[in-house]
Amino acid sequence: MKYLLYICLGLFLVNCTPKVAEQVQEQPATDNKAWRAQAPEAAPARAIKMGEYNVFDLDNGLKVIVVENHKLPRVSYQLSLRNLPVMEGDQVGYQGFAGSLMSRGTSTKSKADIDKAIDFIGASMNTSPNGVFGSSLTKHQDKLLSIMTDVLYNPSFPQEEFEKLKTQALSGIQTAKTDPNTMAGNVASVVNYGTNHPYGEVQTEETLNNIQLDNCVAYYETYFKPNNAYLTIVGDITPEQAKSTAMKYFGGWEAGDVPEHNYEMPSKPSGPRVCIANKDGAVQSVIRITYPVELKPGSEGVMAASVMNSILGGGIFSGRLMQNLREDKAYTYGARSSLSSDRLVGSFNASASVRNEVTDSSVHEFIYEMERIANEPVDEADLQLAKNSMGGGFARSLESPQTIARFARNIVRYNLPQDYYETYLSRLEAITVADIQNAAKTFVTPGNANIVVVGSKDDIAENLMQYDGDGEIEYFDAFGKKLDPNAAAIPPGVTAETVITNYLNAIGGMDKIKGLNTMELHYSMAIMGQDMKVDIYKKAPNKMAMTIGNATMVMQESKFDGTTAYAGAMGQGQTATEGPVFDQVKNQAPMFNQLNYLGDEYSIELKSIEDVDGASCYKVAVTHPDGTVSTEFYDVKSNLLIREVATQEAGPGNVMTITQDYKDYKEVEGGITLPHKNVTTGAMPVPIEMIATSLKVNSEVDDSMFVIE
Amino acid sequence: MRFILGLILTVMLSVSSNAQMNKIEFEEYTLDNGLHVILHQDQSTPIVAVSVMYHVGSKNEKPDRTGFAHFFEHLLFEGSENIDRGEYDTYVESAGGTLNANTTYDRTYYFEILPSNQLELGLWLESERMLHAKVEQVGIETQREVVKEERRLRVENQPYGTVVQESMKRMFKQHPYQWPVIGYMEHLNAAEEADYKNFYKDFYVPNNAILSIAGDIDIDQAKAWINQYFGSIPRGEGDVYRPSIIEPELGGEIRDTVYDNIQLPAVIQTYRIPAQGTEDFYAVSMLSTLLSQGASSRLNKSLVDDQQKALFVGSFPFELEDPGVAIAFAICNMGQDPSVVEAAMDAEIDRVKNEVIPDEEFQKLRNQIENDFVSSNSRVAGIAESLANYKMYYGDTNLINSEIEKYLAVTKEEIMEAAKKYYSKDNRVVLYYLPKPVDQP
Repeated sequence: MKYLLYICLGLFLVNCTPKVAEQVQEQPATDNKAWRAQAPEAAPARAIKMGEYNVFDLDNGLKVIVVENHKLPRVSYQLSLRNLPVMEGDQVGYQGFAGSLMSRGTSTKSKADIDKAIDFIGASMNTSPNGVFGSSLTKHQDKLLSIMTDVLYNPSFPQEEFEKLKTQALSGIQTAKTDPNTMAGNVASVVNYGTNHPYGEVQTEETLNNIQLDNCVAYYETYFKPNNAYLTIVGDITPEQAKSTAMKYFGGWEAGDVPEHNYEMPSKPSGPRVCIANKDGAVQSVIRITYPVELKPGSEGVMAASVMNSILGGGIFSGRLMQNLREDKAYTYGARSSLSSDRLVGSFNASASVRNEVTDSSVHEFIYEMERIANEPVDEADLQLAKNSMGGGFARSLESPQTIARFARNIVRYNLPQDYYETYLSRLEAITVADIQNAAKTFVTPGNANIVVVGSKDDIAENLMQYDGDGEIEYFDAFGKKLDPNAAAIPPGVTAETVITNYLNAIGGMDKIKGLNTMELHYSMAIMGQDMKVDIYKKAPNKMAMTIGNATMVMQESKFDGTTAYAGAMGQGQTATEGPVFDQVKNQAPMFNQLNYLGDEYSIELKSIEDVDGASCYKVAVTHPDGTVSTEFYDVKSNLLIREVATQEAGPGNVMTITQDYKDYKEVEGGITLPHKNVTTGAMPVPIEMIATSLKVNSEVDDSMFVIE
Repeated sequence: MRFILGLILTVMLSVSSNAQMNKIEFEEYTLDNGLHVILHQDQSTPIVAVSVMYHVGSKNEKPDRTGFAHFFEHLLFEGSENIDRGEYDTYVESAGGTLNANTTYDRTYYFEILPSNQLELGLWLESERMLHAKVEQVGIETQREVVKEERRLRVENQPYGTVVQESMKRMFKQHPYQWPVIGYMEHLNAAEEADYKNFYKDFYVPNNAILSIAGDIDIDQAKAWINQYFGSIPRGEGDVYRPSIIEPELGGEIRDTVYDNIQLPAVIQTYRIPAQGTEDFYAVSMLSTLLSQGASSRLNKSLVDDQQKALFVGSFPFELEDPGVAIAFAICNMGQDPSVVEAAMDAEIDRVKNEVIPDEEFQKLRNQIENDFVSSNSRVAGIAESLANYKMYYGDTNLINSEIEKYLAVTKEEIMEAAKKYYSKDNRVVLYYLPKPVDQP
């Protein structure tokens, strides 16, 4: 098959500038007044040749699309899978892993071999769950194809690379916790599509940790089949050469059955719904007004919807959102909207990043513009501007041969008419004011929209309440997990005293704790790549000795003998009987300080219930005898202490906030439940993990341990 | 820039090769008023890129008016004697075109990409901007706020968004590269009417600009229109201010810590390097490619893949008119100490200094360079900008075809020498980006 597409752009792009001058002839160049006053008229337009493409099938079902273009001596090969998205369940991210792993080892090559071979020819290659892409200078294409087909046919999915990928993904996802746009995207995915739809699935640390290598291999084996793929070849190659190349490299690829999937159409919210993800310290709010829409590629309403969106806020600078929120109000650097079509479900998005104090005003303007386009017919002039702009954009896009390839692929993928793109400009020009109105009524529904805002909650939430249908704002974490709105309500009867008592009961009960004579705690940790150990000894009523060091030397030491405190490092130290050092060391001496919280020396206050890494916790503020305040978090369910936050002076005007997380609680011999992993954040540039190597109670501890010399 | 401020964080190897690529043909001449004109004809698609590059960037600013060049770029979309506020956009978009601009340390660049039958419109718009731009108070106030939002968007609310600003501030004490292109908030607030008038009079003159046009044009017709629209614009009076400040040696390593709203620490090493176009610059550029282009590059292979210390690494020289900097950076993997990551970076840099690059790897480097050159210049908009760049900075427009020879002339030994000479401790600023301690809940 061979298609030739010709288009005459000129018909549509004349007489469209706002001010059109009389034909300007050669004017005297010195007179700048008169002839300059008006814009020059367009010259006659040139017809544009849209570019050719060829499509053919190989016997194994692989559909090949070829676009020939010799402007640069380059050629690219894009293999793309045809299947609908597949849900990932509790292992979100595994398909991405499958794609990445394909180029991280084959039966004959390591990742390093593959990287080196690709870089050596200055090429690029990328594998993903949706296919394989490679591009190189024409002269290197055979080398490129031999590597591409090796990763396609013989990936070895090495366990070691899988582990590496997991570590990297877990690191990478950390940035998602603070990047406001990623946060907004995560929340939008969840609220638009729900978690029972492939588009509503969000990667988290938990889902990444769940990923199994077997699942990645199974994905590859199931979906990478020629009858489930398109091969698009673009560049410095003739259709004949492309055909023989495709036969040579892809002809022997074996076909197989590929399962089909169906999904329910997600629905819009029943009213306006404000969804906030908090980002402490944000100086801007990211606003996304968004909801799912039923809009399939190539369907009848796509063109009108697209022009309508262009007038509202798509692509062009003249869009209403940009003109209103930026050029008139100066709330933002840019405000835009998009209306996307999709095989499963499309979406509407209107978004901007705005300074905190105009967050609610910006939402107001978004809704105003959305209502206006839905309720009022647009001006002919606005419509014409949008059409001209889109027609021009279409023409510009044809400069790239990849555009022709994309058009060709869309025609086969979405079963579009053969002349779909040939008729693009005439279909565009036929859109009327009434079409725009219809499209706006169908697709712009501010009354049924998710208003997603990522920003500093304390600065913005109150004023956003008015935009929520039921007046109750929903809160989400960075990954779109809904936070419990009732979490903040402390149940009746719960006080700081009951929280502490429950904690003491949870770790063994008052009797056992009061009966403790000694504790012996040993931990290992790594600092700056060095293995260190921590040894702590305690003896009733209040003696303590702690050393931190490596196998050969003690680096830090502190002791309390009941009356005097000692703190030292590398052999240098000081003793104290009062003052901050004394208080700090003495505070560490009791077996469980919480026993004393109930006495007169301490004062405790139950502040609220807050989320700590997904666990709902009682937050208790503790004022120590020396006046310092720490904040402790006790798990509502287990009653255990899981976080302690304290501030510490670290030099003049520099206060360090140190967070200790207690994890992995287990009962030790003697019936006391202790954390076996302590993570300290804030004291060093990276978190310090202390892992228990041996925890004992009531063992023999000699008093000489505590003697201060 | 107006819609996108490219803080030159990407390597711009916008050049071409003698290898197999099609030569870029062009014509150039200078009008009596000093405006340099470059024309490139390519009729494959009926579009045309019309651009004007002004030789003014943030380095031409006064120290108490930082960000002014970029702010002024925003203002020059406000209108002219014959174009009302907001009409720049509607003229261009109604004609089926697109427009934008951007500002760097060294220059300001405006462009339209139009259907080729609208070339004259593009020339009229740009000549209006050069001849008699008009800025009203309402536009000034609006754009001032817009630029502040741009700053919040790109710098303050962006993880690692202050990396370039913080590094340059410590690297330069005298040269104007010390302040960011987007400027500081208080200076944006301080700009006054006289500033606008003077800036326009001093820098927006034909003898400080290059008009570069690429696409589907009739050369003779284009020349006639250019003469008509630009020929009578008066030449600027006096010389254009160009800072002649020579930054003294750094005089020893500078180390510092920046706390940011981030989750993963990062190590940023910034080294002083020579100006673009010098022989040593090409060697430094090759060195950067060796360190971080492609998965098999030294830093990627070692830090990301083998040792798994970093999530992401990169290195690139800033292409600057005056002696500038190259940056090497790593975003640490979770739980990795930045000092350990830095030691691993240093080890790779030391290896370049001490061991001759193997033949095969050197060949790879040259192949990568060739690939990049051959692949550039695929679009007329990029060609118009590259042509203007080469003329403005090097005075040699034909470098668009020949600059690759300067890269391929670099030897292995010269790369080693460049590493020793410029990638030394005394010649660098090292920043650790650390997560801000969590506020007490």
